[in-house]
Amino acid sequence: MPLPAKAFQRWLNGVAPDTSTAVICRVSGVKRTTLAQQLVRGKVAETTVVSISRAYDINPVAALATFDTYSDLVSSSLPPSDRELVSQIATVDLLRAVIVRTAPTGSAGTGSTGSGSTGSGSTGTGPPELSPPPHATSVKNWVDAIDDGELRHRVSAATGVAPQNYSAQLTANRLAPELAVATSRAAGVGLAGGLVATGLVTEAESGWPPGARQAALDRLSDGDLAALAGERLQALGKALRRQEQDQEQTERIWENLV
Amino acid sequence: MSEILPWITLVVCASAALARLPSAVRGVNPTLFLIFLLATAAGILSIEQFYMAIDGALGGINIAHVLLRLIVFATIYLIAVRVTKGFGAPDAHRMISGRPGLAMLAIFTAALVTVFLLMEPAASSVRFREAGAVSARNEALLPYYWAAARGYLAYVSLALLPALLRSVRESLPPLVRTGAALMAAGAVATVAGLCLEFAPLQLLVVAPAVNNGAVVFYTSGLVLVWMARVKAANRGGHGTSSTGR
Repeated sequence: MPLPAKAFQRWLNGVAPDTSTAVICRVSGVKRTTLAQQLVRGKVAETTVVSISRAYDINPVAALATFDTYSDLVSSSLPPSDRELVSQIATVDLLRAVIVRTAPTGSAGTGSTGSGSTGSGSTGTGPPELSPPPHATSVKNWVDAIDDGELRHRVSAATGVAPQNYSAQLTANRLAPELAVATSRAAGVGLAGGLVATGLVTEAESGWPPGARQAALDRLSDGDLAALAGERLQALGKALRRQEQDQEQTERIWENLV
Repeated sequence: MSEILPWITLVVCASAALARLPSAVRGVNPTLFLIFLLATAAGILSIEQFYMAIDGALGGINIAHVLLRLIVFATIYLIAVRVTKGFGAPDAHRMISGRPGLAMLAIFTAALVTVFLLMEPAASSVRFREAGAVSARNEALLPYYWAAARGYLAYVSLALLPALLRSVRESLPPLVRTGAALMAAGAVATVAGLCLEFAPLQLLVVAPAVNNGAVVFYTSGLVLVWMARVKAANRGGHGTSSTGR
């Protein structure tokens, strides 16, 4: 799945000609042993390319696009949809937005200004900054945001990855970069969105306009925001409850068998 | 080959008991120490030299063998009680330490002792080997003796198996799941041990391997679960009452 070592070497030659691997590793923070291992195996991880591109001031998405697997990354410049953008807002930030919108003016922290903005939620001094993606459930939320109900089947058919493996990755908040791009392709959305959701590249690197997530959040009606926050809370509650049950069970095992 | 197997079993059980001693002294789950101690005692009684000496002291008519079988009953009972509680299997727990479970224990114990008393006294022989050669009656009764001895173990193992297999699939620490898998293997080997009593003679050669394997699987499964706890505690995990300090 990762990038072929030969193509990587060619790319690296273009990026940093006549530079030793040692220097490249030092500048980019990639561990030498890791890189050596990837080269020996003939498969270089996408994160390696991303780290090196950043070190040499190259856009990581553009760098990935020079590889065959990702050649269509740059040519498609579909802007992210509002649903995608909102899916990359952390649950805590959504809840904060709910509080800011519903709390009577004054208790939200800003007193004098901003009372005129009905429903837009942007109080006078501006909302607290959203934490950058990815968040704890960003991968699953992103796929849910672009899923028309058949997306998982299409991805599975296109990539040959079994649906249960795909779901397992989503649950673990992971998604292989190639799968993330394949998912975007199958959903017909901007191809870099999945790379943001998995945290491989940043919003800015993928070409999302600054403040786009905040703007999308502001465009949500109070009802939609409350419903969305509710969904997230419910999912969080389920995950926490499962965790607690696992924990309880483990404790019971310790108590009786250790 | 079959002479060394009991020694391996003994070493595994004795090491586990020894390793568990400090915790038992501190009062942490002394049952676990008792389990390993009983398993060690059973291991000792399965080795010819020790068996002859101990049975000699008990009159030299194989009373030590009945004792060995009862020790094995006690060991598997204690393991089963702990496992069903730990892995949260109330149904299995009832089948073992509830009224039906205790009834089974009583029936098999009574059957074992009765069959033994019905047999003519035979001179000490480890694993009760030569008892059948004494008389035709003994020859005929011996299979019933073994059916009683292995029957209870198979009953308990069958009751445990679903809970163990379920735990293997649950999202527990990997070492716990491996431990559950090993104990499941022990349960399967125990049931297989009973089946081998009724198997054709050609298959009997594997019986010692299967029966010793059952003990080793059960014991190492318990040890692995314990290792999982040690690992969790070392990682700065929760509850460090059994390790550290």
